[in-house]
Amino acid sequence: DSRRRGEALRALHAALRSAPAHTRSAALKEQAQGTMLRVLTSFKSSEIEQAVNSLDRNGIDLLMKYIYKGFEKPTENSSAILLQWHEKALAVGGLGSIVRVLTARKTV
Amino acid sequence: MAYHSFLLEPISCHAWNKDRTQIALCPNNHEVHIYRKDGAKWSKVHELKEHNGQVTGIDWAPESNRLVTCGTDRNAYVWTLKGNVWKPTLVILRINRAARCVKWSPKENKFAVGSGSRLISICYFEQENDWWVCKHIKKPIRSTVLSLDWHPNNVLLAAGSCDFKCRIFSAYIKEVEERPSPTPWGSKMPFGELMFESSSSCGWVHSICFSASGNRVAWVSHDSTLCLADANKKMAVVSLCTETLPLLAVTFITESSLVAAGHDCYPMLFTYDEGPGTLSFGGKLDVPKQSSQRGLTARERFQNLDKKASSDVANAALDTVHKNSISQISVLAGGKANCSQFCTTGMDGGMSIWDVKSLESALKDLRIK
Repeated sequence: DSRRRGEALRALHAALRSAPAHTRSAALKEQAQGTMLRVLTSFKSSEIEQAVNSLDRNGIDLLMKYIYKGFEKPTENSSAILLQWHEKALAVGGLGSIVRVLTARKTV
Repeated sequence: MAYHSFLLEPISCHAWNKDRTQIALCPNNHEVHIYRKDGAKWSKVHELKEHNGQVTGIDWAPESNRLVTCGTDRNAYVWTLKGNVWKPTLVILRINRAARCVKWSPKENKFAVGSGSRLISICYFEQENDWWVCKHIKKPIRSTVLSLDWHPNNVLLAAGSCDFKCRIFSAYIKEVEERPSPTPWGSKMPFGELMFESSSSCGWVHSICFSASGNRVAWVSHDSTLCLADANKKMAVVSLCTETLPLLAVTFITESSLVAAGHDCYPMLFTYDEGPGTLSFGGKLDVPKQSSQRGLTARERFQNLDKKASSDVANAALDTVHKNSISQISVLAGGKANCSQFCTTGMDGGMSIWDVKSLESALKDLRIK
């Protein structure tokens, strides 16, 4: 189980690292969003807080961007999970991280 | 903390006279009202009515005791006190959009006006014709100039703009001053020369401030960041993503400490560490009042759960001194090198004076460098 947790955490960090920040390709962004959603869903509710605490300031901001991107196109269960991530990310990033989602010029 | 509620409407802008006995402010209309301190009270002593649009900037020159105001009517006026009446002199800014901010230069022989015309008007008095003339700094500004601050050498001017950039220009006017000596920002300073341009923020730059020495410039932008450029470190820019709502005003209180405030309605301290080149949050500078802690009824709990999805006991009312966003901070005593008192005005129509020593003793973890 701890191996699964470790893999999920590594997947999260990898997904954040390889986020396509400078691309204009909608397809690439769509794909990255899909991957991120799968990674976020793979976490158990109790593990979210620890995962969020493992991120640095830029990681939190990027995560927030993906959370809001995920809210834009809700699927079967996505909003519930994203809301849990949102609560934990907000506790660490504060309202500033949400402001930066709104003011960002390069979307994810 | 001395808080005075002047109005029920926002205070658009304010400026203090030299000995801090009078404050000039715009009560969210076309006028400027000057209040004088009478013991513990404030009484209105002058009403300056000349602008045809909201007054967006006021600056009071401490030595020459002149006021300069600018407004959405695209005009600026220089006011001189004759006897007991303030007499305005119109300054033609040659802009076709609203003026947004105005600042006297340190020697008070020039002033700069930022406007929605995407340029800065540098105004100086021409003796032969007995009127104020202005020169424009246009390139490469792409949007409204929201904030200005002068370097102590009376030549360099920092400008924050809605095109997300902080820039430092030379506003050297050969008619009124000698050629300036080199600074860490550069040595060639012809009028309009761009000495520095930032690239880091993604938000409108609301406020900008030079440190007392002029070697550092800090700015706050709408993406909830605070940035600082250090000329002694090859103009390297350090930025801090804050956890708060966007800040609207910033000032240095020592060479390494800043106070900023904005939509969270309380001032906060930031510290710049020169060695590692980092900016860090130093604490909230508001002493919370002891509000009565009454428990929530079961009904209120459910209402909270329904409205806010949380069963937090926290009060919905603000426990800060200001009850709405703080839009301007001014240094009252000690200058930007060793500020001992600063003042905030905001959209709640209130003005608060903060004493740095009292804050240091009231908030135990505060470290002002």
